[in-house]
Amino acid sequence: MDNLYLFAILAGTRVAVEAGEVEAVVKLTDISPVPGMGAHVAGLSALRSRVLTIVDVAAIVHGQPTPPERRGLAVIADISGHSYGLMLDSVSDICRVPEGEVPLRGQLDPAWAAYASAIVEHDGHPWLLVSLSSFIEGASAAQAA
Amino acid sequence: MDELLQEFISETQETLEALAGEVVAWEADPSDRDRLDAIFRFFHTVKGSCGFLNLPRFERLSHAAEDVLAEIRAGERQPDAATVSAVLGLMDRIGELTEAVAMGAALPNENDDYLIAALHAPAESPAEEVASKPASEGAAEAPAAAPRTSAPQAAPRTIRLPLSLIDQLMNGVSDMVLARNELSRKLRERCADPELDTVFERLSTCVADMRDVISKTRMQRVDRLFAAIPRMVRDLGRELGKRIDLTLEGGDVEMDREMVEMVVDPLTHIVRNSIDHGIETPERRRAAGKPETGRLRVEARQSGNQIVIAISDDGAGIDTTRLVDKAIAAGRLTPDAAARMTEQEKLDLIFLAGLSTAQQVTAISGRGVGMDVVRANVERIGGLIALDNHPGQGLCITLRVPLTLTIIPGLIVRAGGQHFAIPRAAVVEILHDNNDMLQVSRVGGAQIATIRAVRHSMIDLEDILGMEKLPQPGPRAIMVVRSGTGMPFALAVAAVDNHEELVIRPASPLVMASGVYAGMTLPDNGRPMLLLDAAGLANAARLPNIVDDQVARRQEEEAEAAGVEMVAALRFEELSGERRLLKLSLIERVEDIDASLFGRSGGKAYVRLDGRLMPVVNGRADFPQDKVCALRLRDGAQEACYPVAAVLDIVQMPLVPDMVAMHGVLSGVSVIEGEHLEVLSPFALFASLPQERLDRPQQGRCVLLDSEDGWTREILAPLLRQAGHEVMLGLPSDAPVDAQDVILCSGTDAAQAGEIMGCRVVQLRASPRAAGPQDGSIYRYDQDALMAAIGGRQG
Repeated sequence: MDNLYLFAILAGTRVAVEAGEVEAVVKLTDISPVPGMGAHVAGLSALRSRVLTIVDVAAIVHGQPTPPERRGLAVIADISGHSYGLMLDSVSDICRVPEGEVPLRGQLDPAWAAYASAIVEHDGHPWLLVSLSSFIEGASAAQAA
Repeated sequence: MDELLQEFISETQETLEALAGEVVAWEADPSDRDRLDAIFRFFHTVKGSCGFLNLPRFERLSHAAEDVLAEIRAGERQPDAATVSAVLGLMDRIGELTEAVAMGAALPNENDDYLIAALHAPAESPAEEVASKPASEGAAEAPAAAPRTSAPQAAPRTIRLPLSLIDQLMNGVSDMVLARNELSRKLRERCADPELDTVFERLSTCVADMRDVISKTRMQRVDRLFAAIPRMVRDLGRELGKRIDLTLEGGDVEMDREMVEMVVDPLTHIVRNSIDHGIETPERRRAAGKPETGRLRVEARQSGNQIVIAISDDGAGIDTTRLVDKAIAAGRLTPDAAARMTEQEKLDLIFLAGLSTAQQVTAISGRGVGMDVVRANVERIGGLIALDNHPGQGLCITLRVPLTLTIIPGLIVRAGGQHFAIPRAAVVEILHDNNDMLQVSRVGGAQIATIRAVRHSMIDLEDILGMEKLPQPGPRAIMVVRSGTGMPFALAVAAVDNHEELVIRPASPLVMASGVYAGMTLPDNGRPMLLLDAAGLANAARLPNIVDDQVARRQEEEAEAAGVEMVAALRFEELSGERRLLKLSLIERVEDIDASLFGRSGGKAYVRLDGRLMPVVNGRADFPQDKVCALRLRDGAQEACYPVAAVLDIVQMPLVPDMVAMHGVLSGVSVIEGEHLEVLSPFALFASLPQERLDRPQQGRCVLLDSEDGWTREILAPLLRQAGHEVMLGLPSDAPVDAQDVILCSGTDAAQAGEIMGCRVVQLRASPRAAGPQDGSIYRYDQDALMAAIGGRQG
């Protein structure tokens, strides 16, 4: 890996995402809701001719949906052939961290345990390294339950 | 190295798929050298590649197979059934290993020695084997496979591309089309520049062509769908001790790649069923006087924008009596309802979930995953399934699937302030909830919609989807929706807005998991829209699935008790305010039509429906309101639209009105529940349609008696044809002259003869002057009089 990460605030937490997983970060404009679904699917949004399934990460992690007025950005990822947009609070940086990921220390909130695998140090702060596809898996699992 | 391995895996998998049919065909005809060579080549290639890639197990397996095949090639050994099975076994193992390598999983550690031993076993007693099994087992034939052997030499040059690349290409083109549309909008806003327009036109054409070509990359030959069938037929046939002669046809038809994937399962299931339940054992077939070898035929053809796949066998067909018994036993049907069912309705029971005609559950089929799943799968992709059952003679199942998965006609409906799409094919009927034909009642939380005496479960779309039902000024729309597996049900939505061709894409698994959506689409407004899955909605609402026809039956009984022959009629209010009756069987459906769709042309009113023009019966084309309630009428061939003020209800009216009027648009007056109602005459309604096609049948033919006469042939006949008459030269030899016909002649005796036959006769004379006061003939160049005579006399 080239140790390039996207640093962002996701569901109120500092996270790092491997740049390889990220296709783009877009500003969300129009989300058509998908009725009959749990809060984790915020809706569908069109990006040029593609349709993104917008996933509310906060709802998956904390079980609390993001209010519509705070739906700002989404990171677009292609996960097993489908395009998803995962809602972000904000994006702070994309940069290379030569030392890469370091093991987790401390007691991780159980809510995050399924999604975080390591820590990336950047800007003097630790950032949780998360995998975007794990959120989709988490959402599917929540649905099945 | 990784790349080489990838290449090896995909090549092996592909060849395996293609070869399965070859091996079976080779078994049927062991002398077929080409096929043997193809199989030998496969093992040889595998052996060569895996030596290089260091895959010892592959090498060992392929080496063993190659040895045996080499012996057969050299004529040292006979390819008997056991050998073929062993070779197939080896191919399967290689397939499994390939899969394992592709997934990066550990290789299944089964005993390859056993397989290899099986290959050598028959070699010890080859003579016996051949003698005891004289091609009696699974003598499947695959003529469709025959051209494939020669294909490798003649095949067009191809390259392998990752699917993602093609999808990217598709997306790119879609974006291009969107950009083009925007550009065209911008261009229109600015001043018109013909030069620019021309260039833009050219660009548009290029983009459109490109889109067509790209969509072709998604097409695949149906061959791929068929590839697994010969092998399956052979294996199943042997297992069950049945002899089957398989015919595959139409493998070169092309269909959407995704569609092929979707059809594989239903097709496999039908073929399995047909072998397991349809085709009988040789003994039974002999007893039934049929040839011992059963015939199974799978054919594909393109018909318009559909692919038709027909699977026919000459087996036992479906025993509808047993089907009915099972349905009753399962509590899905009441015995009285069963007694009243038509043969076709009984046959349709096979699509009820959990019913199987198999007397016992076998390993092959009859595991409860039945025709209901097949139908659900076929209908999910917008297809249809039809059965043509000949008990004791065989069964033909026809699948009709759209050419592509991606474009289906759909209705756009509104609910809870949001738009949804639903496949047009799933909707049987649309009504408004203020329609008098419809009665909604509520009991214990359940809603029941009674439409024309048939009770349907009714659900509100908003309720299933957990949305809020918004207050609205107008009536709500109720759609009768037919789900693939269950009973039709009534689905209430805020409104049905539009009818469009929708480009459907798969929705992400997260969304599909909800079970009520079948996909999504991106309409021009750029807001994604979800496609509803009718069967999913019924499931989500847990609708009961019991056949019921009690009400309809009671009505019939009432009518019978009344003694007078009664027919169902629709009571409605005319735009002019009168209340009238029209025979129900003529009405195809009642619809609310946008007033803007009505128009007038050449003094006649038309309405544009489903992409074609339909005549408006009462000639009205301007309406003050937005929506017009209209009856859609059909007389079998001709359709018409009849705008009315309101539909009231359905009543039973006597077949012959109480007071009969012979002329005009009314056929009489009937008294229904103490109210005098005028009864519309269907004859007059359709006769008044502004369509030549309709007028003609009443016009009759013009029979020209003097067929030898040059004037009649060269001048009169063309003139009459031009005027729209059907012309016949000479008396019809095979059939009597119809009373509608008009006979044209010049001789007086012929005229008298014609009158005796009961036809109208127009007598022509060559002289401009009449021969006397008794002369009823017409001067032959007096066109007006001639036409008037032909037209007028038909009255």
